[in-house]
Amino acid sequence: MTTRQKKARQSSRRGISTTQILVVVGTAVLVVAVLVALNINRFQPATATKVKYPAGVTADGQPYKGSPDAPLKIVEYADFACSHCADFAQSLDALAPDYIETGKVQVVFRNFAFLTPESKPAAQAVECALDQGADKFWAYHDLLFSMQGRGGAAMSNTSLKAYAGQLNLDTAAFDKCLDSGAKAALVEADHNAGVNQGVTGTPTWFINGEIMPGALPENELRQIFDQGLSKGSGQ
Amino acid sequence: MTDTTSRVALAVDWRLWLMRLLALAGLGVSGYLTWTHLTNQAIACGGSQDCDLVQQSAYSEVLGIPVALLGMLAYATLLALLFLRGRLPQAWDAYIPLAVFGISLIGVLYSAYLTYLEIYVIYAICRWCVSSAIIITVIFLLSLLDLRSGADLP
Repeated sequence: MTTRQKKARQSSRRGISTTQILVVVGTAVLVVAVLVALNINRFQPATATKVKYPAGVTADGQPYKGSPDAPLKIVEYADFACSHCADFAQSLDALAPDYIETGKVQVVFRNFAFLTPESKPAAQAVECALDQGADKFWAYHDLLFSMQGRGGAAMSNTSLKAYAGQLNLDTAAFDKCLDSGAKAALVEADHNAGVNQGVTGTPTWFINGEIMPGALPENELRQIFDQGLSKGSGQ
Repeated sequence: MTDTTSRVALAVDWRLWLMRLLALAGLGVSGYLTWTHLTNQAIACGGSQDCDLVQQSAYSEVLGIPVALLGMLAYATLLALLFLRGRLPQAWDAYIPLAVFGISLIGVLYSAYLTYLEIYVIYAICRWCVSSAIIITVIFLLSLLDLRSGADLP
């Protein structure tokens, strides 16, 4: 037996009391509890997002948010791989308390999937989410845009399915819908409808039928909304 | 010197080396995950994207610090302690098994939480993360034996 071995053995025999062990266990549990608590606080805003306005499906099957009786109707064509579409969605979100929740603006979403190979699966995924309710659609829509720029896996098949789980969707139904390509024709039809209306890029949106190009920052969008609303009340 | 005492010493030595080896492996795994996280690299995941999904999730950082980096720090500390074992004055040396036990217990509990997140929240399993969870669990069990042989447990 070497001196070091002897030393190691002797020291391991020196008394570590049960009290000391309990103190260490208590500290360990506390440290982990703090780590977990920090993690939960961090994630809560994303999962706790609740739709605060009416959401539903239009007569022709498109998801909307905001009152159907709103004086301003926005129809938005977007691609989930398009960063300007994510910016536009964020601008709309920022204006939601003033315009969508107050019943002044209704937003209808339509897929215009054309940018990347992942655009179409992503568009099909949101349609699959829509099968489970318009509120699920908007939650999925928001999550998908927020995952943009997080690397190549953000819109992979695995990720699209994982998001459904994170949003408490019926994952079996969702997976079946996505894998079967059940929404492929619908996504194609949306794209063709856009092309017929003069959409060439994303985001393209229509305000009461008038075509508008590209994403606008929040303040410009606010001006356009206000103009549209004053025009409406003047007539 | 009896047969029994040399056998006990041999067992202690054997466990110590195994724990050092495991801590080194853990350092490698967490180091790789930290590197891929910080440089936004795709993780080698056997053709699956699950690893990236886990590593890109909101759960992969605590207060802006990558969870993988926390793991790296823990494994580096364990490795240092395990190599100091038997080299410090006895009064200090005696507390190394207790420190290894405490740090690996934190690792086991936190890994359990992270694995729960992978299965029930993120819906993706990162095999590197699971490897680390297994490594830290084995270190913890070995540390328990070390503690047991020294502690006055009832």
